[in-house]
Amino acid sequence: MTRPSWQMPVLLTALTIGILLMGIQLWVLTVALDLLLGGEGSRVWQLALVSGAIFLGGVFVLNLLNKVFSQRERTD
Amino acid sequence: MTNTVSGRQEQWRAEFPYHWDEDDTITRRELLRFTVYTSGALFAAAVGLAAFNRFYRSRAAGVKPLVRLSELVPGQAFHFNYPDPDDESILIHLPEGRLVAYSQRCTHLSCSVSYQPERERLFCPCHDGAFDPRTGEPIAGPPRRRLPRITLEETNGIIYAKELLP
Repeated sequence: MTRPSWQMPVLLTALTIGILLMGIQLWVLTVALDLLLGGEGSRVWQLALVSGAIFLGGVFVLNLLNKVFSQRERTD
Repeated sequence: MTNTVSGRQEQWRAEFPYHWDEDDTITRRELLRFTVYTSGALFAAAVGLAAFNRFYRSRAAGVKPLVRLSELVPGQAFHFNYPDPDDESILIHLPEGRLVAYSQRCTHLSCSVSYQPERERLFCPCHDGAFDPRTGEPIAGPPRRRLPRITLEETNGIIYAKELLP
């Protein structure tokens, strides 16, 4: 079975963006910890929301890619 | 001869049906999935920090008697716990006679600050941070935020802690 030529660039792009966003999430977590230790913990919720939005975006993209790949593989 | 070799290859493939073409794709897809799982873990950690702050740090303080005014010496500090028993705080009787109180938690990384009257500063030994004892504003080192201030009230010669302000 050969792989469609468009799959690899799409996967690599998604992977690169995903890893970048994960880096941002890690940074957001360090900022949240910094705020908590600095006594400004009330602002940590906002950062948790940002982190959650990134996570939900990742889940959405993963589901979308899985759907598209399985659909195309069936038609190819 | 060639038929024999190709026959052996077919047999080998039949016994070990490994699809090399799919290998890269599967690995990348798995990595993408792993990235999303890690993202979820980071989100959970951020929520955990927020929840920790909500349930362990934001309790209402209330009014608490601290010390008799007559027991305070100008230029000296009095240590107490406020708002919770494990929250270290400091009451300073400034040389000019004014009373100020702060949380002892450094706004950099929560080390405990101590009063140094000879250098007129509150000093954090962890990263050499310093705060102005009159205002609580940072004057040296990595801290960028002022110390949380505790409002005070004097009634019948007794000093009370009223509220912790960020």
